[in-house]
Amino acid sequence: MPRLMDIGLEKLRNMVLDMAELSQNTVSTAIDAYVQGRDLRERIFGWSEELRMLQDEVSELAVEIIARYQPVASDLRFIKSCMEVSYGFSRFGRYAHDISDVIGIFGDLSNCDRHAIQEAGAQAKDMIRVSIKAFTERDVELASNLKKMDDVVDNIYLDFVKKSAHETEANLKCVVSGTLILRYLERIADHATYVGETVPYIVSGERAARK
Amino acid sequence: MTSQVQLEELKLESKPLTPANQPLEKYKVRTENLNAWFGNNHVLKDISIGFLTNDVTAIIGPSGCGKSTLIRCLNRMHELVPGARTKGSVLLDDSDIYGRGVDPVSVRRRVGMVFQKPNPFPTMSVYDNVAAGLKLNGVRNHVVLDKAVQRSLEQAFLWDEVRTDLDKSGSSLSGGQQQRLCIARALAVEPEIILMDEPCSALDPIATAKIEELIASLKEQYTVGIVTHNMQQAARVSDFTAFLYLGQLIEYGETTNLFENPKEQLTERYLTGKFG
Repeated sequence: MPRLMDIGLEKLRNMVLDMAELSQNTVSTAIDAYVQGRDLRERIFGWSEELRMLQDEVSELAVEIIARYQPVASDLRFIKSCMEVSYGFSRFGRYAHDISDVIGIFGDLSNCDRHAIQEAGAQAKDMIRVSIKAFTERDVELASNLKKMDDVVDNIYLDFVKKSAHETEANLKCVVSGTLILRYLERIADHATYVGETVPYIVSGERAARK
Repeated sequence: MTSQVQLEELKLESKPLTPANQPLEKYKVRTENLNAWFGNNHVLKDISIGFLTNDVTAIIGPSGCGKSTLIRCLNRMHELVPGARTKGSVLLDDSDIYGRGVDPVSVRRRVGMVFQKPNPFPTMSVYDNVAAGLKLNGVRNHVVLDKAVQRSLEQAFLWDEVRTDLDKSGSSLSGGQQQRLCIARALAVEPEIILMDEPCSALDPIATAKIEELIASLKEQYTVGIVTHNMQQAARVSDFTAFLYLGQLIEYGETTNLFENPKEQLTERYLTGKFG
């Protein structure tokens, strides 16, 4: 016989999974739009706002479940993690919006070298996919890959910043826009790592030490 | 819903469990391989557990798991039931209360007990209920008795509500007041440990909240043990929690850890309501 709380937990899980799908799509669209030189700010802003509202709804439902059923043990850990993860998904939306804004600020960037951004973008998208799969399937081993994947994005960003110091003034637009986008991708990768960190916590209560 | 889980299936063994590996002198009372029976019914199996001084320890578990029996062994009330017996040690300040020549009455004076249903002496006044234990111990001086009654009622957060009604019958009080009267009665003889067996199960939420506040204040002076079916109550009032199942101590640790991150699968299943 299902517990009364299970109805609320299932609803919470579905809301978080909806957020996962939307946030993945939002980030992916923002990165692709930059690479293709398309201005999709309005669409991405709309999705980002939707994610923010969904995060509020997840928080409200989580608080309601806590107040009504006073969950403990793995139920409590799952609810806490849903709140953390939904915040991460909401941040994905916000950074995707920031990425899409770059074209608005700088205009045509088609002459800029996009190698680093494409590489970091692909890695960030992959990290979001992995983090969502690990969270959905409670796969601790899969989640453990995220830290190494995060290092790849960190290194691309740092290398770009170091190289930027030697760029000429003529290349300034590409350097600043590239730095901004890579910074946003680096933050997206961090949040994907945090999503992954909730997996061992949900499963066994183990909290990873954050760097 | 799973009704019963066999310990054999889970391959669990009773093992000595003490919170946070504290040095032995920090435990006000502890048991070593405590076993208890009602006739042939073996209700406690090799329980080794320590209650830390000036902390609240909660005991949780499904009905019939041995919670009440465990605390009744801590002040030798278990043996009052015909056919009941114990084996193992209960060390109060490192002295075995089941040792030869130990007077059970003196143990019960040091280890007070409050029960599920408020049970003031029905024919006695509020004052006499509180003073009863002292009078039994030979205290006759009115000044001493007056002071002890006031102190005990104040400690039980009841003084302000009954100070003008000390001559009224204890039974005339509300259920929550009666339970606090029983706590005052237990406190009057200045015990070192207060044990409570589901002290709020017959009380409304307001009276329950008052008892819970009282428990929090009592631990400043006493070591407190509470048996409760209400897991949220255990989470609210206790520093340490022990989970018993079929007479065995399954898990024992800091309340926060046990409720957020139980180590044993059986504890997890009980806490999350997957059996009971």
